[in-house]
Amino acid sequence: MDNLNIGRHISGQFNEDLENVINHVMNMGGLVEKQLSDALASVYNSDEELAKRVHSNDYKINNLEVSIDDECTRIIAKRQPAAGDLRLIMAIVKTIADLERIGDEAEKIASVALESFSSDSKDLLMNLDNLGRNVLECLQATLDAFTRMDVEAAIKTHGNDDKIDREYEALMRQLMTYMMEEPRQIPQIMSVIWSARALERIGDRCQNICEYIIYFVKGKVVRHTSPEDMKNL
Amino acid sequence: MITVSPNNLSENNVKLDLNNLSPEQVALEINNLDLYYGEKQALHDISMAIPKGQVTAFIGPSGCGKSTLLRCINRMNDLVDICRIEGEINLHGENIYGKHVDVAALRRKVGMVFQRPNPFPKSIYENVIYGLRITGENNRRVLDEVVERSLKSAALWDEVKDRLHESALGLSGGQQQRLVIARAIAIEPEVLLLDEPTSALDPISTLTIEELINDLKKQFTVVIVTHNMQQAARVSDQTAFMYMGDLIEYSDTNTLFTTPAKKKTEDYITGRYG
Repeated sequence: MDNLNIGRHISGQFNEDLENVINHVMNMGGLVEKQLSDALASVYNSDEELAKRVHSNDYKINNLEVSIDDECTRIIAKRQPAAGDLRLIMAIVKTIADLERIGDEAEKIASVALESFSSDSKDLLMNLDNLGRNVLECLQATLDAFTRMDVEAAIKTHGNDDKIDREYEALMRQLMTYMMEEPRQIPQIMSVIWSARALERIGDRCQNICEYIIYFVKGKVVRHTSPEDMKNL
Repeated sequence: MITVSPNNLSENNVKLDLNNLSPEQVALEINNLDLYYGEKQALHDISMAIPKGQVTAFIGPSGCGKSTLLRCINRMNDLVDICRIEGEINLHGENIYGKHVDVAALRRKVGMVFQRPNPFPKSIYENVIYGLRITGENNRRVLDEVVERSLKSAALWDEVKDRLHESALGLSGGQQQRLVIARAIAIEPEVLLLDEPTSALDPISTLTIEELINDLKKQFTVVIVTHNMQQAARVSDQTAFMYMGDLIEYSDTNTLFTTPAKKKTEDYITGRYG
């Protein structure tokens, strides 16, 4: 958190406010990461208990989003942050919106574990394994980059989303082949497709968060920028 | 390749390239200005171009030289015996520190308003036309017209139009400051210098003056010194950050307050230890 440089304000109260809000974002990130890994585990292991827990825990993420939002509004009203402080607050406000949506996606994934899959269609779920692992790693790398406000790591993680997209497309092709071969399993395959879609969206949201990190540190808006231009930052 | 530019959703917010202004865009050009109070150098090699018809703010901690620089622009520092100036300030390409410059004429072109409102102990009417009276203007119709126009420009007319001949000292602080601005613009200067014009005023009067500044730039070039950074952010088009007599950063206000280029600027505007 040192390169955030927040401990040097003349106002100690301002330092404290910013530290608090950052700590809350990190807590929220930790919760979201746990929700996603639990959701994936519940799917692989057909663990209904765990899936239900993912559902019942989503409110914690929602609550954190609302209260962090509130804190940021208060900081803007009372401190009128400028420059780096302002960019930090803006980055946080946007990051928590994406984190909250990642939480929602995790909930959707967990729903699949609650559906009735026959024992032979359960193998279908294992197709999500690779994509799931990559997306979880991507989320971890994103949260890591956020904690350290590390631009290099953010740019690298941002670029890794391509890998997730390719994997997602390959999985789609595979699932479509299954559908043609086993039309009776289409409902189950559709559930897997929804989960794959949710994972792919999580990848995109991680990419967004990386963009906010770059915006905070460099002051440059890199949304809608091509990967080649990202390298020239 | 398509890149998305975050700038300029509001069209009246045209960003100027401060290093590359055309002569018509420049109101004042400061070149390599050094200023000494006795042995002590208070301004170091200041160079900047102040664009016409815009508001330029000087910010910085106390003693950084921002008021000193402002006072150079209408040669107020001439009144300080130990003050010595090198370099030049060009108004329309003419150095105001040149040999044959009539300082009184210069100050008619470059008006100034100070921190504390300083109306003369005369009527509101007489305050506004004071400058014209000195130049010998006595035509009642002309004077009436100037009073109305100036007070309207200073957003004071509606409040005082029924008591123009009462003492100016009966006005509130905020009204007095607007009266002083009306007095300054009555002689139609080209440049208006404001030295912390709202630091003695309450927040509502401050907002009135800020709104006024925004209107004034349609007719005049405004240069403002302020301790209130949010004020600089609100009213100015360009901001110059000064520190210990140096011009650290000078750029358009939007950039300076969101992505300053220099760490010193960032530390100052975010309230950090230097």
